[in-house]
Amino acid sequence: MSNVISFNDVSLRFGGVQALKNVSFEIEENSLFAIIGPNGAGKTSILNCINGIYKPTSGSINIFDQDSKDLHPDNIANLGVSRTFQNIELFENMTALDNILIGAHRHVDYGPVRSLLFSKKVRQEEEKARKISEDVIDFLEIEEYRYSYILSLPYGIQKRIELARALAMQPKVLLLDEPAAGMNNEETEDIARFILDVHEELGITVVLIDHDMNMVMDIATDVVVMDFGEKLFQGDPQEAAKNQKVIDAYLGVG
Amino acid sequence: MKKRPDLYTNYRNESSIFPTTFQKFWFGLLLVSSFAAPFILSSYWVLLITTSLLIAIASWGLNVVSGYAGQVNLGHGVFVGIGTYVSSVLGGVATTSVIGYELDMIIWLPLSGLAATLIGIILSPVSARLKGLNLGLVTLALVFIGSHFFSNLKFITGGAGLGRKAAKLTFMGIDLEAGITFGNFILEKNDFIYFFSLILCILLGLGVKNITRSKIGRAFSAIRDRDIAAEALGINLFKYKMYAFGISSFYGGIAGSLLFTLSGGVEPGSFSLLYSITFVAIVIIGGVGTVLGPLFGAFFFTMLPGIIQALLHAFGVGDAGFIFNPAEIERIVFAFFIIFFLIFEPRGMWGIWFRLRNYFKAWPFSY
Ligand SMILES: Nc1ncnc2c1ncn2[C@@H]1O[C@H](COP(=O)(O)OP(=O)(O)OP(=O)(O)O)[C@@H](O)[C@H]1O
Ligand SMILES: [Mg+2]
Repeated sequence: MSNVISFNDVSLRFGGVQALKNVSFEIEENSLFAIIGPNGAGKTSILNCINGIYKPTSGSINIFDQDSKDLHPDNIANLGVSRTFQNIELFENMTALDNILIGAHRHVDYGPVRSLLFSKKVRQEEEKARKISEDVIDFLEIEEYRYSYILSLPYGIQKRIELARALAMQPKVLLLDEPAAGMNNEETEDIARFILDVHEELGITVVLIDHDMNMVMDIATDVVVMDFGEKLFQGDPQEAAKNQKVIDAYLGVG
Repeated sequence: MKKRPDLYTNYRNESSIFPTTFQKFWFGLLLVSSFAAPFILSSYWVLLITTSLLIAIASWGLNVVSGYAGQVNLGHGVFVGIGTYVSSVLGGVATTSVIGYELDMIIWLPLSGLAATLIGIILSPVSARLKGLNLGLVTLALVFIGSHFFSNLKFITGGAGLGRKAAKLTFMGIDLEAGITFGNFILEKNDFIYFFSLILCILLGLGVKNITRSKIGRAFSAIRDRDIAAEALGINLFKYKMYAFGISSFYGGIAGSLLFTLSGGVEPGSFSLLYSITFVAIVIIGGVGTVLGPLFGAFFFTMLPGIIQALLHAFGVGDAGFIFNPAEIERIVFAFFIIFFLIFEPRGMWGIWFRLRNYFKAWPFSY
């Protein structure tokens, strides 16, 4: 097993706020790696550091054994890291299909001149992008929303389309920021099933943030527990549930 | 991934420009009648339509960078100016005060576009650093820098107040300046400019359509709507903003190269702030981020003075004895339309057209 992502003593500071404090961990290939913790613990900050939206104040992050210090978010995306956002970041004025096609962006290869002329190469590449998108649409069972504008879709479906957009990148690593937030039980089960499918059928390494301990216990292979920017615990999800520090953090003690 | 037999696979037809024969028919009819126009219409109308077509090309350019890619540009007129002067120098006649090489249109037309593209690309990194209002201010500065150069590079532009002659119309060795007689018909210089403008308008219009139905157009919209998400999806913001400015200024340059050959001369004062802002207004009135919008907006802008004149005449209001002169009324009406569309119809004339079209589509018996 090799590591796809490693955090080496990463700290992140915003003025007076220490979002991450000397955090180190490794994410193994093919794991379903969960990050849990109370509000403001630094979970989203970890994802933002992985995909280059934030740069650590100190420490380093390796992605596929490459130091990500000088990499822009698009470089990191093109290494095969895709993500969803805590507050849905879909392109609202576009259809679901267009959103997903944008997800396939990195697999479409032609420049502006060809685009103006809509050359044969463009046709072929566009068909390829469509094919990738349709596979994802099929996989996530969102056929009926293909041509719907995002704004007209219910929250739960929007979440699923954002997942579809991330999958259209055909990533090696998928970062999910609270994919089940704001969903009812049934929708949460659907999402959990899709995440498992992504992990098992597609063989993608998944990094999953969630508040919900139960869902994490059910599906994660590894877990990191964060609290106030610090790593409290790393290891087996079942162990985490028994760990006193973790229990305290969740109950707000200490 | 799992496979399903009923998977939808006819992607190609879906993204075609005219999906139905009905649309193909109308487009064909429009095309044929367009080419017949100079044989039917008076030179006044040919001039107006040619101007509209060229302004539409320039407006398409602005719509690419601002409407699709969301990068404010208040200095688009400068790129039109660059196109104008490249064509004037390469295709114009040298005098004691200005340079000119009297080259063929086949050379100066593409070079005008490419020169503007080059400047657009050189300036595009600014947009990678600045957003919104700040970018607007920098592009505003571009207008003043442009004006300064245009007024002071006298050997190119002839200088403020004086100007120079625009490019001569020689196409593939055929001198079109004096017009050509075909039996009973005389095709004048402006008729030829009309044909060139029409062909360019069709090609460059298709170009815009092609961008919108390809990866480049999707990336532009992504950057416009959510640049952080776009970047996280692997879109290189720097590169795509460069593409947007490059394409936009190409359109501006091409339009500029022909625009002033109509009147035959160009004065640096033409490329004022008002000129640049006019393109913004045309895009807003026509329909921001739509393919046909700038075409509608350009025709509206070009035809408006004539319409107002005619209305004033009809109501018996002369030039004198009224608080506003026709030019002022024109500006007021134009400003009114900008405000109207900004508030009530953000998709401009295109939005109105779109609704009318859908209305008639849903009409009984039309399907
Ligand atoms: N861009 C920013 N500027 C300033 N402070 C920030 C920024 N991003 C995060 N923070 C701060 O860093 C800390 C960690 O935030 P983060 O979003 O990573 O928490 P989280 O674990 O994802 O919380 P939640 O469960 O509420 O999503 C918080 O105190 C937050 O206010
Ligand atoms: Mg968060």
